[in-house]
Amino acid sequence: MPYEWIKGTEGGGELHLWPYRSLPRRGFVFFIGVSCALLAVPLFSMLGSSIVWALLPFMALAIAGVWWALSRSYRDGELIEILTLAPDEVVLVRRAPSGAERRWQANPYWVSVNLYPSRGPVPHYLTLRGNGREVELGAFLTEEERKTLAFELRRALGALKAGPSQDGADPPPGTR
Amino acid sequence: MADAAVHGHGGHDERGFFTRWFMSTNHKDIGILYLFTSAVVGFISVAFTVYMRMELMEPGVQYMCLEGARFIADASQECTPNGHLWNVMITYHGVLMMFFVVIPALFGGFGNYFMPLHIGAPDMAFPRMNNLSFWLYVAGTSLGVASLLAPGGDGQAGSGIGWVLYPPLSTHESGWSTDLALFAVHVSGASSILGAINMITTFLNMRAPGMTLHKVPLFAWSIFVTAWLILLSLPVLAGAITMLITDRNFGTTFFDPAGGGDPILYQHILWFFGHPEVYIIIVPGFGIISHVIATFSRKPIFGYLPMVYAMVAIGALGFVVWAHHMYTVGMSLTQQSYFMLATMTIAVPTGIKVFSWIATMWGGSVEFKTPMLFAFGFVVLFTIGGVTGIVLSQAPVDRVYHDTYYVVAHFHYVMSIGAAFAIFAGVYFWIGKMSGRQYPEWAGKLHFWAMFIGVNLTFFPQHFLGRQGMPRRYIDYPEAFAYWNHISSMGAFLSFASFLFFIGIVLYTLRYGKRVTENNYWNEWADTLEWTLPSPPPEHTFETLPKQSDWDRGHAH
Repeated sequence: MPYEWIKGTEGGGELHLWPYRSLPRRGFVFFIGVSCALLAVPLFSMLGSSIVWALLPFMALAIAGVWWALSRSYRDGELIEILTLAPDEVVLVRRAPSGAERRWQANPYWVSVNLYPSRGPVPHYLTLRGNGREVELGAFLTEEERKTLAFELRRALGALKAGPSQDGADPPPGTR
Repeated sequence: MADAAVHGHGGHDERGFFTRWFMSTNHKDIGILYLFTSAVVGFISVAFTVYMRMELMEPGVQYMCLEGARFIADASQECTPNGHLWNVMITYHGVLMMFFVVIPALFGGFGNYFMPLHIGAPDMAFPRMNNLSFWLYVAGTSLGVASLLAPGGDGQAGSGIGWVLYPPLSTHESGWSTDLALFAVHVSGASSILGAINMITTFLNMRAPGMTLHKVPLFAWSIFVTAWLILLSLPVLAGAITMLITDRNFGTTFFDPAGGGDPILYQHILWFFGHPEVYIIIVPGFGIISHVIATFSRKPIFGYLPMVYAMVAIGALGFVVWAHHMYTVGMSLTQQSYFMLATMTIAVPTGIKVFSWIATMWGGSVEFKTPMLFAFGFVVLFTIGGVTGIVLSQAPVDRVYHDTYYVVAHFHYVMSIGAAFAIFAGVYFWIGKMSGRQYPEWAGKLHFWAMFIGVNLTFFPQHFLGRQGMPRRYIDYPEAFAYWNHISSMGAFLSFASFLFFIGIVLYTLRYGKRVTENNYWNEWADTLEWTLPSPPPEHTFETLPKQSDWDRGHAH
């Protein structure tokens, strides 16, 4: 689930989206731990001889290398998109791994959710249009996720437009 | 903010030949580069064996003469045996095969090409590092070949020290050929480590959503286990050969008793690397064979999870059995007992794999296409090699067989035949996918039978020679060993002929093979993600994540 609604989908909310990474942090710890343990076998059996000092730097390099590579791969996945829905304003913030932020905001009443089954760079390309600009959302998600997300977004925006007082009611017809 | 981009964009490949093949960062192109380069090095290395078998065909020395190496025996000319040339042949056959042929073909070639496809990743995690790995491998190979031609021991070219580079032989070999060989191994080790880090990161962090570790195809698993073994064992080798370099050039005495060093310690750390190394060579083969057998038995692989954990167990056990290569160096009885028992334990996960392959075929509708023939041959011959391994694992029996042809037969059954059959199974299984053209089936079958008969004729008699007591690594032998040596040489020539024929098949297929039109030209049991792509696959694949229904076959697990 590389996207998550932080607050309810009705009457405003916050949506976080990030690219999928298949290794949980626990997996990283386990992998590095087992690697160090196995490297310790030859190292400890050479304890007391000067050979330890010839082996140690290469082992340290290997562990440092794989550590760096996995962290780098996580960092590349630290892209996050945060969509805040409020009755008077919809804000989308996209934070790149470098920390650079880009913002887009619009009045929810004029925001439209578009799903392009084939014409976009990815199948079922999801965009938001409003405030004279069209921006993409969750291009890194899977196709299925984008389809579900489009449905959820339309419902959330519909509820937003209908006003917080009608909580739980179906969105009025025609709101998309 | 990423502004929306709603218009088609052409993905036409406009790179020139040089840009595509020399500056490539594409995992498929790099995989193909690995396969071709290792084929060239493999040819050199196999050519050495033919020359060695020519020499061993008859007692006495007919070809490797001090007066000059010959290719046609000439009894009228004087021929003084040139032991150095012989030693150089066995050394470079070993070094090239161990470091520059099998790992690059299975791990670098098939691993690069198919592991990212199997897990639905768009490319490797670090595409430019991938390019660096490949060119380091080429640099290492060049250093290795340069070492063969550089001035070495006995006033001749090349080093005759054996691929294990044991001191004091390696530290006292004159000339600078040995230094070049050590650098070659160092560079190839750096290349393998970078490749392994890349594969590990890709495998761990770039699997398609929903593809948990217990759903990854077996080939991808085998590449991950291999990468992990490389990551853990090659630093040890790097340390060992660094010490050899300093012993040779800077007057250190890590392995010289005169300065307080210990040559036996070198053997320990060499084999701490060396034993995982043989699993590095064979484990990707396990992965390929599993896919081939499942496809041509039209059944899901039997016991997916035991297959995965057997590979992991083989890898883990590989780190605690190293000293069974050196029972004769004077270890204590307790040490020998431990290494003997630990070694025998490996038969358990290996047995799980072999029986699971048999169980996969059992009751399946087995179809003997060429890849399946090679997979079948692999299972049979790898098992024979495994059984002689159990024999050799026993410390007392090893006293008799140590450094005889029995050992040569054993490790060629598991590594040469095992790994080579896995490579050929992979080539025939995937050549249509990689090139878009299919090989002629009759030619593949002819290649299989020639090779199957050839390698058995070569290596099975070597068991008899070993039992008769013929030591390995000698240029000549007494009359008594002549009979089986003659037959072994005939087998080697047949195998070499089949290898030449194979090169012909590949060249023919690439130029004139029948075009493949379907995505999946075998059957629906070839169910990993590469079979959902066109043949050959487009340059960029899985830039958007694949759907779970494309790869998740409940029935397979």
